[in-house]
Amino acid sequence: MDYTVTSVAPIILLPFLAFVINSFIVKKFTKVAIVISCGAIFTSFLFALRIFKNFVFDVYSSGYHVHKVFNWFDLSYDKIPFKVDMGIYIDNMTAVMLLMVTGVATLIHIFSTFYMQHDARYGRFFVYMSLFTSAMLGLVLSDNLLSVFIFWELMGFCSYSLIGFYYEKEGAGNASLKAFMTTRVGDVFFLLGILALWSVVGSVRFVDIYSAIASGAFSNHFVLGIPLATFAAFCVFMGTIGKSAQFPLQVWLPDAMFGPTPCSALIHAATMVAAGVYLSLRMEPLMQLGNLKVFIAYVGAITAFGAATIALIQTDIKAVLAYSTISQLGYMVLGIGVDAYNASFMHLITHAVFKACLFLAAGSVIHSLHDHHTDSHVQEMPRMGGLRKKLPFTFIAMMFCTLAIAGIPFFSGFVSKDRILGEALIKAFHSKVYIIPMLLGFAAAFLTAFYMFRMMFLTFFGEPRDKDLHHHVHEEHISWNQNIPLLILSVFTLGVFYSGSLTGQGEVKIFSKRYEWFATLIEKPHLENFKDYERQPFGFSDQKSKKVFEQSIYDPTHGLEEEEAHHAHQTHVFGAILSIIIAFSGVGLAYLTYIAKKIDPRMWTSRFSNWNEALENKYYMDWFYIEVLIKKVLLPFNNLVSFFDMGIFDRYAVDGMEKVNKTLFTGAKWFDNLVIDTSMVDGTGASVKLMNVILRTIQSGKIQFYFIVIVLVLASYIWTLNIH
Amino acid sequence: MISLSSYLLISFFLFLCGILVIIARKNIIAILLGIELLLNSAALNFVAYSRYTAQNLDGHIFALFIIVIAAAEAAVGLAIVIRFFQIKESIHIDDASQLQS
Repeated sequence: MDYTVTSVAPIILLPFLAFVINSFIVKKFTKVAIVISCGAIFTSFLFALRIFKNFVFDVYSSGYHVHKVFNWFDLSYDKIPFKVDMGIYIDNMTAVMLLMVTGVATLIHIFSTFYMQHDARYGRFFVYMSLFTSAMLGLVLSDNLLSVFIFWELMGFCSYSLIGFYYEKEGAGNASLKAFMTTRVGDVFFLLGILALWSVVGSVRFVDIYSAIASGAFSNHFVLGIPLATFAAFCVFMGTIGKSAQFPLQVWLPDAMFGPTPCSALIHAATMVAAGVYLSLRMEPLMQLGNLKVFIAYVGAITAFGAATIALIQTDIKAVLAYSTISQLGYMVLGIGVDAYNASFMHLITHAVFKACLFLAAGSVIHSLHDHHTDSHVQEMPRMGGLRKKLPFTFIAMMFCTLAIAGIPFFSGFVSKDRILGEALIKAFHSKVYIIPMLLGFAAAFLTAFYMFRMMFLTFFGEPRDKDLHHHVHEEHISWNQNIPLLILSVFTLGVFYSGSLTGQGEVKIFSKRYEWFATLIEKPHLENFKDYERQPFGFSDQKSKKVFEQSIYDPTHGLEEEEAHHAHQTHVFGAILSIIIAFSGVGLAYLTYIAKKIDPRMWTSRFSNWNEALENKYYMDWFYIEVLIKKVLLPFNNLVSFFDMGIFDRYAVDGMEKVNKTLFTGAKWFDNLVIDTSMVDGTGASVKLMNVILRTIQSGKIQFYFIVIVLVLASYIWTLNIH
Repeated sequence: MISLSSYLLISFFLFLCGILVIIARKNIIAILLGIELLLNSAALNFVAYSRYTAQNLDGHIFALFIIVIAAAEAAVGLAIVIRFFQIKESIHIDDASQLQS
């Protein structure tokens, strides 16, 4: 397959074109606009499928990538070249991401036609969704950090406008602002990181950065006494923290649930928040070089555990999913921290699928529960219960996804999460620093199983708690835009699609040849391959480059000695068994609490009332940011600055300037009046007047006078001639 | 034989008379007569110099031209005077002061 403009560009351009066209026609031709949006994203999906097929089924090589460069703008002047190039970089990771993003986005678009159909701004929703999808695809295809950053910000904007979509709702505006400003903190660091990398590498392209790392260009570069590699890695990782809602910037994501549920599914669960993790995966060699792995592991583990604990007490069905999203993103980051590169990316993909499905299912539930008294949709789980029979298809889909996220064997979540935890276990055996992240990871796995099944039991099982509401639930029938997307997504929560084997350990081989495609194809960038890569300074090149690397086949032993490999394998198996036990115990606890009613949840809350209070206040993070950081730090700082501005700068500099000006003005006025006006302007007039008086008398109009003058002049002339 | 200076003396006398007439008289016709005198004195000068120094007929021809021009000038001048009189009902030179404005 040749990667020309026509085979790749439509993936980004079709949704973008849909956005541009729909912006103009959406008010008058809402139906047409929606068809355009859905059609564009579906066509993108077909293109992505073609790329995916080429990479996974035709080429099947872990190092294979396609890198196309084109000129963005050319500012060359005279003999000084200044060309800025953009490019697309497709490797296996990109191909899988493209398929995931377009596939999930297509299904969510289809679901949105059901969910948003009675909304006043039905069409506008699709406009934002198209823009968002094209930005996400652009980010995935980018070959350099600068265009990643551009698309990153574009997605931030889409997220902002979609969170504030119901702007008439109280709090939606603040939530969107909060999301935007919180991620901005990370973005500033990210930009700083890009600049730091540029200062050393001279380029912001991934391949050039890899090459610089491989050739040791980062040694002897320091920023404020710390190695530049660490600094840059930290800054880039701060971008991830902001975008992927990691501790301590996770506060925006739960508030982002103000947006419509399908957009929560697409943006705040499946794709945009995964972009941060994707970036960290791309920059993994830099994190390695900067010795940031332990830090990353801690951030991920704290996020995973903290969010999981908060999810325990949430009553809003979307809030539970929001916290579980943060928790799962924490797992991915933990995976980067413990060198589980492949597993982390796998978890990104599996999570995208099952979390999108969970959100859509939650949307389906919310849409069905319409409170006629307040004319609003119900999201509170205490008012649900017993919806299993009324919403059978939603129930099936949600059950599949819950099994997946809880880490039950044979489902995708088990395959990916188990591998992250297995790697964490191996790391913990080798070094003590990793023990705490490992323990937090396993604890979070237990909590995940518990709170997800708590949500399932509260929603679908038991007796309906709000009889009136339950009575009015719309009976669910199979329909192409309500259930079918859910069911399609739920099929892909099965583990076989990702591991090729039932347990995820690569032992039971179902597909004969390429049974472990995921584990084989996604690998850390092989830095040694990039060592002789000809680096091109960003802004000074126009060389078209394409390089295909040798095939390298996955080695599950990570190149360890045989004994160690055996040990690693045993650890993996041990980890797998451990996570199975943990998952089932979590499910069991949820069953005992909410179905069998053997344990009263109120007993827990009364016994650990301090903890409960902390959880209800989300560990006081919001309080800390608003009351301490903003009111106690930023506000006094603001006051100080404004005091400086008003009291010092305004009073002395501005008013002093005024005094100086006034004096100058008086002097200038005097000069103007006396010298310019009186003597020069008026003097000109006076002299002209004087001349006028003289000349007027000569100009008598009497011919004879003129004649006398002529004669006298002639006579005097002749007289002077005679003298000489 | 009459000397050149005699002719020049007469010519000078005529010229002086012309100038005095132009300056002193207020009648426009008189002024025109004064101008005739000026022209004739000049013509006399030409003829005299031609006779005594150049030994050719250039001066005589110039004199003829001057006579023709004087005739033309008199005709134009009298026409102006008549037109002036029709407008102003006067031939006093001080009435012709429109040039001062």
